[in-house]
Amino acid sequence: MIIHSSSQVSRFRLLRRFPLPRGFGILRESRIDPGRHWPAPAGAKRTKTFQIYRYDPESGRNPRLDTFEVDFDECGPMVLDALIWIKSKVDSSLTFRRSCREGVCGSCAMTLDGTNWLACTRFITEMASPASVYPLANFPVIKDLVPDQTHALAQYSMIEPWLKASEPPPQQHERLQSVADRKQLDGYYECILCFCCTSGCPSHWWNGDRFLGPAVLLQAWRWLADSRDDAKGERLDALEDPFRLYRCHTILNCTRTCPKGLNPGKAIAEIKKMMLERTL
Amino acid sequence: MRPRSPNIQNYRPQLTSVLSIANLITALISTVALVAFVAWLVAAALRPSSYGALHAAAVSPIGRALLVIATFAFFLHLCGSIRHLFWDAVVGFELRSIYASGWVAVAASIVLTAAAWLVGRFVKG
Amino acid sequence: MPEPREPTPSIAARARGLGSARRGTGAWRAERVTAVALVPLTLWLVASLVALGGADRAAFVAWLGRPLPALLVILLLLAAFRHTGLGLQVVIEDYVHSAAKIPLLITTYLLCFAICVVGVLATLSVAFRR
Repeated sequence: MIIHSSSQVSRFRLLRRFPLPRGFGILRESRIDPGRHWPAPAGAKRTKTFQIYRYDPESGRNPRLDTFEVDFDECGPMVLDALIWIKSKVDSSLTFRRSCREGVCGSCAMTLDGTNWLACTRFITEMASPASVYPLANFPVIKDLVPDQTHALAQYSMIEPWLKASEPPPQQHERLQSVADRKQLDGYYECILCFCCTSGCPSHWWNGDRFLGPAVLLQAWRWLADSRDDAKGERLDALEDPFRLYRCHTILNCTRTCPKGLNPGKAIAEIKKMMLERTL
Repeated sequence: MRPRSPNIQNYRPQLTSVLSIANLITALISTVALVAFVAWLVAAALRPSSYGALHAAAVSPIGRALLVIATFAFFLHLCGSIRHLFWDAVVGFELRSIYASGWVAVAASIVLTAAAWLVGRFVKG
Repeated sequence: MPEPREPTPSIAARARGLGSARRGTGAWRAERVTAVALVPLTLWLVASLVALGGADRAAFVAWLGRPLPALLVILLLLAAFRHTGLGLQVVIEDYVHSAAKIPLLITTYLLCFAICVVGVLATLSVAFRR
């Protein structure tokens, strides 16, 4: 009942989805059709059923939901291992992003059992039966589980995520920063830009064209909190907008879902506090 | 046109999002209750007959049920809003605190609603 | 060192939109200040209404006619309608994206103002009739 870490999977699976019609608000081209069933290979003793979102841009057909039976004994413990097993043994057309397989690159961010996480750090045993694997929520889909993150990345580049110092860099050493000042960046610099948080934010679902979203705002705070940065005023000016920043209503789905245990909700609250300070 | 991956159609309801939408719904109910309160004030300022009609509606079973719902909605919005005020002061952002304060808000609003209606019954005698 | 890859102008321009409005903190702050005022005021109102019970008009008018309840009700109406108006504006901006947005925002703002004035006038008329 009390979640103390975002890695905790919810015990109570009372409500799997909001009580809305299944096709609520889905545009025609996004409607998900039933897909193929891929049975387990012969001789498989322990199997796990996966329902995986598939979309083939070249087929001209709508996305579909395929059902795969994965041999538990043959693949590794993580959901990413199951996906790789499916791709190598069952259906080689299954497409997904992956790189480090240890939860530091952010490539394999997906919606697993209705919450966003990295496939490489989610144990198969923690998944529901059947397990559901969808691409990151509310993103355009390029193919299968690959989301199109161009807009989110454009929003990220818009906040100018680099150091803006008024003095040129010192000749003899790096720009000095006290231990206390460096500590202000802890919990914000570790973001791997997987966009799990932004994808899970209802405000970004409804206003994602103008609302920057938790990932971008967390990075905005990372630069505002940096003692070496001298452009706080300009950064706050760029953020002070009813949509860019103030669509955040502290829903806190972001903090709940961050696979690195970071706190975008808190970062946004710090931005609002700094925004208020300059009016007082 | 690329399809868009499902959002609310597939994303799991969590305490975070459910309490947030509850804060919104209870805000709308409280707005209706506020307008009803203004109507009550206007009725009190006008002729006794208009007040009498509103009063009769309020003590009827349907009126009473609506008032209980409105009281609960108001208290849930109040407790949720106090939770929001703490967040605005950047207090209570750890996941443990978010979940604990959420359950406390729900429990407190049930207790307050029950208290309001029980005391009201006691006052009437 | 390779140049950082820039998104195509149309995508970047879409993210930038019409630029920052450079306002929004005022409304956010007003909503919080009115909320802080409303916590004691609404609790007082609920407690008073519970204490009044299913009172008839004479008792209600007697209660509202005294200066302190009348003053607190007027303060509550002012704070509540400011808070409600700001909140409804946020809700409409969140969920309405069609051409109906601006007429809805104007209507909501004016209605909140008008109903607040009606409530304040009603309270004053009861308070000064005594």
